[in-house]
Amino acid sequence: MEESKTDSSVGFSPKEMDSLMKYFVGNNCKYREQIIIPRTVGPIHIKSIDEKRVEAVFESCAFKSLVASVMGYGLGAALGLFSASVSPNITAPDAPQQTAKEIFRDLKFSTLSYAKNFALVGLMFSAVECTIESYRGKGDWKNGTYAGGITGGLIGLRAGLKPGIVGALGFAAFSTAIDYYMRH
Amino acid sequence: MAASLPQLDVAKMQMVQDLEIEMMSDMYNRMTAACHKKCIPPKYKDAELVKGESVCLDRCVAKYLDIHERVGRKLTQMSLQDEEAVKKLQGEMPRV
Repeated sequence: MEESKTDSSVGFSPKEMDSLMKYFVGNNCKYREQIIIPRTVGPIHIKSIDEKRVEAVFESCAFKSLVASVMGYGLGAALGLFSASVSPNITAPDAPQQTAKEIFRDLKFSTLSYAKNFALVGLMFSAVECTIESYRGKGDWKNGTYAGGITGGLIGLRAGLKPGIVGALGFAAFSTAIDYYMRH
Repeated sequence: MAASLPQLDVAKMQMVQDLEIEMMSDMYNRMTAACHKKCIPPKYKDAELVKGESVCLDRCVAKYLDIHERVGRKLTQMSLQDEEAVKKLQGEMPRV
């Protein structure tokens, strides 16, 4: 604001200052037409409401768990197919030779079984990790460990208490190791 | 309780607008600094915001603005009380 020599400088009386203070500080629900964001480095991009909605969906815990379970399904299918094809199916020596149809059925059964298990584990782990991370508000290594512990515990508890504890510890350690490997 | 501006001439209105912009940008800078200090750890390997960090930032901004509003309300309330006290005092001791 230029102050020329002829103009007197603008000042406020104490009473005006008082009412100005009330105007500035007290009015917090004022409707503002322009959003002014100070710009230091780089362009400021204000997102539209649709963009925010789409981003909210893609970053939500549900979507992330879904993606993890789909990837788990794929990985499980591949692993199941591989493991079924390399493991020999030993039958009695006088039983008839296995037809191709039976072998394919066996492969399909094994593939589907592995795929479902991996998908379930992936879904559980991802959902638990995302929930823990949202609750804590931090994104460090402990989220993976806690999530692994809970997931392993839940899976192991189906077989009893001791397998539950062992499963929890083992899965937590595995998850920590994988996280460490991915980050370093 | 919305306060309105007293009648001011052009130069003063200009200054009021400048003051408002300065106030808003100061609040924005302080809020960014405070929430950055609280929510984002100093060492990171990824440029993208992790989910935990973005959740923390949402909460930080909401809290900051809530506190800003409450403190502002309290301040206006205190200044109203002060005004009434001053009026009462002036009423008791009329100046010659």
